[in-house]
Amino acid sequence: MDKVTCIVVGAGPAGSACALALAQKGIETVLFERGRVPGEKNVSSFVLYTAELKRLIPDFRKDLPVERTVVRTDQVLLEQHDAKALKSYNYRWVDDPLAFTAFRRRFDAWFAKKAVDAGVQLMSGMKVTDLIKDGDRVVGVSVGGEELYADVVVGADGFHSIVGEKTGLVKSWKPERCLLAVKEVLDLPSHVINERFQLTDGIACEQGIYCYHINDLDVFSATLYTNMDSVSLAVFARLDELQKKNIQLHGELDRLKQHSYLDSLIKGATLREYQAHILADGGRVKPKSLYGNGVLLCGEAGGITATETGMGVPTCILSGMMAAETIEDAVKKQDFSRRSLKNYLKYLDSTALLDMVHKSRKESDYYASAARSEGPREMEAAADIYNQYWEKDVTYLSKSSFSIMVEFYLRIGQYRVPGLLRWPLTALVKLSRFPVRLVEAIKKRLRKRYYEWKNQPVNR
Amino acid sequence: MSGKTSLSIDDKMATVKIKIDKDAHIIVKKERCQDCPTRPCLVICTAENYKWDEKRDELVFNYEGCLECGACRIICPRDAIEWSYPRGGFGVKYRFG
Repeated sequence: MDKVTCIVVGAGPAGSACALALAQKGIETVLFERGRVPGEKNVSSFVLYTAELKRLIPDFRKDLPVERTVVRTDQVLLEQHDAKALKSYNYRWVDDPLAFTAFRRRFDAWFAKKAVDAGVQLMSGMKVTDLIKDGDRVVGVSVGGEELYADVVVGADGFHSIVGEKTGLVKSWKPERCLLAVKEVLDLPSHVINERFQLTDGIACEQGIYCYHINDLDVFSATLYTNMDSVSLAVFARLDELQKKNIQLHGELDRLKQHSYLDSLIKGATLREYQAHILADGGRVKPKSLYGNGVLLCGEAGGITATETGMGVPTCILSGMMAAETIEDAVKKQDFSRRSLKNYLKYLDSTALLDMVHKSRKESDYYASAARSEGPREMEAAADIYNQYWEKDVTYLSKSSFSIMVEFYLRIGQYRVPGLLRWPLTALVKLSRFPVRLVEAIKKRLRKRYYEWKNQPVNR
Repeated sequence: MSGKTSLSIDDKMATVKIKIDKDAHIIVKKERCQDCPTRPCLVICTAENYKWDEKRDELVFNYEGCLECGACRIICPRDAIEWSYPRGGFGVKYRFG
């Protein structure tokens, strides 16, 4: 009977991060991946923010397979016959790059390779088909008939999580909680990209496009970003809406491409690859279902992805790291029960992730309903909030210093309150924000110090 | 709006590399589809793998061209679609995910 300390299922960002962190702590880890090579099953329409990655691999810049460095983000509001764009530049990132465009096929393979270099045993081309259980405790996995036992199993196997399903932690999907996405990678020569997007070599821009009443769908979002010599265009829509209106999403993508705004940017581009993916929209799993007896969920499997801000990969990486911390504690105590693994929540709470899981459902509902009823103005507000993420240090490493609901109130909500009530209420809200901000700022500084201190021997 | 025509789904799927497994990873209980009022799988599938055969009056599907998004499994109102990922090493292989 083969037994290891930890099995990680899925070599995506969350799985590789978890395995790598465990290997760095000297814990024996086996990483399973169903693709021949890590990354070949994965699709993202994403910009790779690297604050979290840097914690794990300090010298990641040496060989990270990136396309371009992002210094500009555009928020575009698209209606049938007009378009509005808000461009924000972050020139700090020219010298000290933080965000990149990249292909998941290359990035995931690179990341898994880092884990292998650190001592993780990677088993690719192996699909975990079932879990081995002792009572309600997970004690191992079976891979097409063969069995491997472990003290703890980490489910990082994405949206259709086998670990989540077999343990019963993930119950059912509702169409209204799922976003379907299709993406096209379009070939466009580098100099044409530079000219049309007003970029220079090696510099990328990312566009969040909010589409309002341009198609049969009331509201949907799209992203467009530039790679080295291609652009990636993706559209997202909720499954229930597609079902209700009987709409094919790839048809929507085609129609969007014919919009004058996009036509001016991607005219003449040829299709390099067509992709489809599904993602959870807003809090798929309750926090208490993120851990079980001998099992942890991280990344998309646990719904820890930031769909709203498009920062799914960093949040997945961070959740993987937090799972590794939890397992380190459990190994020290030699206790892998549900109670011991509950520490996972504590670790998640030391970052902004748990807040995100709590809030994301509300936020996603808010976006969906408000955008429909209020139209472009709400979209503008959403774009504005996105920009705040962009302008501040973009990271989920620490809890955000402002509550997003308060921010929503100050930006939008207050205008719905009758005039007489508005002033005292707004003053109250602003006042209430102050101590929280102060405490958060102090905490953030302390945490930063702590991590600097903790990471010292690793860096050397 | 430009006058150019967009690619058909077959042209789009031609850009995707797929290693086909001989065992199907999608199983449909077709008898449940007969009285399904909406049949959302026909429009939801991003690869248009599900078609309604009018002649034989039944659902036909092709698991080989699956992009593994799994939307059909979630949307099916009759729980007729048994969907799992293909065996390890098989299925879609994105080159530029």
